[in-house]
Amino acid sequence: MRYLAISLLLLVFSSCSLKTTEGLREQVAQVSEIQNPYFSNTSEDYVYKAKLDIYGRYFGGILVVKKLTKNSHRVVFTTELGNRIFDFSYNDDSFTPNYVVDQLDKKLILNILERDFRVLVKEYVKPTSQFSTDYGNLYQTNDDGRFNFYKFAKDTKRLESIVNTTKTKEKIIFSFEGDTQIAKQIDITHQSIKFNISLIKFENQ
Amino acid sequence: MTNSLILMPMRSFFIVFLLVAFGVQAQETAMTSSEISVFTEGVKSEAKNTKSITSDFVQYKHLDFLSNDIETSGKMIFKAPNLIKWQYTAPYNYSVVFKDDKLLINDGGTKNTVDIGSSKMFKKMNVLIVNSVKGNMFDDDVFEISYFKTATNNKAVFIPKDKNLAEFISRFELLFNKKDNQVEEVKLIEPSYDFTRILFKNRILNPTVADAVFSN
Repeated sequence: MRYLAISLLLLVFSSCSLKTTEGLREQVAQVSEIQNPYFSNTSEDYVYKAKLDIYGRYFGGILVVKKLTKNSHRVVFTTELGNRIFDFSYNDDSFTPNYVVDQLDKKLILNILERDFRVLVKEYVKPTSQFSTDYGNLYQTNDDGRFNFYKFAKDTKRLESIVNTTKTKEKIIFSFEGDTQIAKQIDITHQSIKFNISLIKFENQ
Repeated sequence: MTNSLILMPMRSFFIVFLLVAFGVQAQETAMTSSEISVFTEGVKSEAKNTKSITSDFVQYKHLDFLSNDIETSGKMIFKAPNLIKWQYTAPYNYSVVFKDDKLLINDGGTKNTVDIGSSKMFKKMNVLIVNSVKGNMFDDDVFEISYFKTATNNKAVFIPKDKNLAEFISRFELLFNKKDNQVEEVKLIEPSYDFTRILFKNRILNPTVADAVFSN
């Protein structure tokens, strides 16, 4: 009976633990701020070939990100032929959808897009705790009732991924390929819904 | 020192001369009504002889907040009466065929028939391009049309009368080569003043084009 209780407790405990930090020891954050460097240069036009799968509906096009001032970014998605699909402005913590095409102008979809691109372009965040692992450092930040885990490689110090989670579940994985300053490929993968964004950087831009 | 003193005004004169010369060349004036009819008739007669076109193109997407325009390029293939294919090859492979009121998209291997790119706006633009080579664009009562000329080109400017279309696009501009009445450039200007500019080059008139090209 006691074993059963322990087993049940273990089961409950393990099902509640977050995969991102499984087996890792939480420490006080040793830095006051961490940087996502991928959209940090105001003189750079960040232009990507984009493929969006939104609940099984496919949207292809060009995604443009521009850092306008220290705390503001513009994110525009157009078709290959040039017409705008959506156009967002992020300024500190405020969000303005300048334009959204009818097919995507639904609260549920817009909220997801808003969060995805906010996490993607947000440059400076304050970690609340830190986890050291064999591969590098993992920093935890608060994000509007959820958490973001920034994973930096030990050797290159490159930001490899951001994992957006609730207390118990990984919700969105942002993975970055490329060098320390430029993300050549970005994949935004939602874990519990069919909502994925794949970005490949233009080589000639 | 003496040389440079003599050269300076000469050089300035040359620069001014160049500016004036180019200024005059680029200057645009409105066509008279007789010029409009000569021009539109010329395009119509050229269009009657157009069975197919292949042309390279370069597309510039201008967004005001960007440092540089986004450049993509590829090939446009047209076959009368209304098949058109835009095949982008740089910096990625993407093609779209306008066929029977459908868009057939091949995005680097991912195939689709319905896409947001099927927005009325671009359909209209393609109808316009198709019509411009067919020669019946000038009868279109969807647009308010005005005509201009420069030393080398004729230009038709289309302002949509339809409010839905005007939300996407404030005007189209088609630039024609005066020599052969062929479209050289398409410019699509959004209400925000951002624009898409497509330049055609290496145009081949009436090559053999198989229907299979448009199966995408």
